[in-house]
Amino acid sequence: MEPTRDIHGTLSDLLDRILDKGVIINADVIITLAGIPLIAVSLKAAVAGMETMLEYGVMAEWDERTRADARESRKQTVPV
Amino acid sequence: MNNHNEHKHGRYVYCVAESVETINLGAIGLDGNEVYSVLADGLCAVVHDCSAEAYASEDEQTLHRWVINHQDVVKAASERFGTVLPMRFDTIVQDTEKGSVNDNIRRWLTEDGGSLRSRLDRIRGKEEYGVQISWDPKRIAETVSSTDPEIKQVEEEIRGKSKGLSYMYRLRQDKLLKSAMEKEAEDRFKDFYHRIEGCVDEIKVERTKTGEERPMLANLSCLVLREQSAYLAKELEKINSMSGFFVRFTGPWPPYSFVGVE
Repeated sequence: MEPTRDIHGTLSDLLDRILDKGVIINADVIITLAGIPLIAVSLKAAVAGMETMLEYGVMAEWDERTRADARESRKQTVPV
Repeated sequence: MNNHNEHKHGRYVYCVAESVETINLGAIGLDGNEVYSVLADGLCAVVHDCSAEAYASEDEQTLHRWVINHQDVVKAASERFGTVLPMRFDTIVQDTEKGSVNDNIRRWLTEDGGSLRSRLDRIRGKEEYGVQISWDPKRIAETVSSTDPEIKQVEEEIRGKSKGLSYMYRLRQDKLLKSAMEKEAEDRFKDFYHRIEGCVDEIKVERTKTGEERPMLANLSCLVLREQSAYLAKELEKINSMSGFFVRFTGPWPPYSFVGVE
């Protein structure tokens, strides 16, 4: 069985990886808006208005998970 | 790299690699920006110059274009460097009172060097594949019903019962089927997991997705040695040919799922 490589057929797989995974820098040199990492801003813009997302709890869950990830990584990396 | 726009106070970071020379990958970045590397201590960050603000858009197409572009740059960088640590989308380093933006990148590469290097070691020469296995519950339920001894027993008992009574039996049968299906899902997951585990370097179990065409049983990210994906492909072929099971196989991806801090 050959893996699917077509970019349009695998966009959701790419989004799952690029938006939610990959290396995060935990340092004060990284741009954040009101403590929320940038990707939230992009996602918010792309998917729906912030209020809509908050209403459905999407951001809250996402935000909590991301903060937990960040706390976890911070324990183990040297802050810049 | 002082010839690069020093007036721009941000650097969009695509990935980190081991390198001792500064390189330029050309104007392949987001919105056609020039992509180059910032070196420190044997590591480099592959970046483009940008303002110190987020890439954000109201337009889904634009976001998708950026994401695909990010991925293309990571791909180009891995062709150049071999192994790279892909960054999450929209990672932007900015200047601070402590230093210029490039100073900040160098300080980050130096101070986090140990952690970055051990993550590079983990993924060296490897690629990621996505494996999602879904099933057709109707078809599987038919198989389960015709083989589960308890369900078959109830089926026997229903015969010759009055309408009211057989209704009660049907309820009981549905309940039995539901728990048999849950067990089937669990057993299948374990079976598939072990079979796939034997063909790959590492597996990460991801949350299954809902709202897909068919219910998803397993969502796995697999780290595989380059050129070794044939074993995985073969095993997946077998699973995919089982009646009622469907495999979605994607990749190779840069190992996005295996570069976080464990």
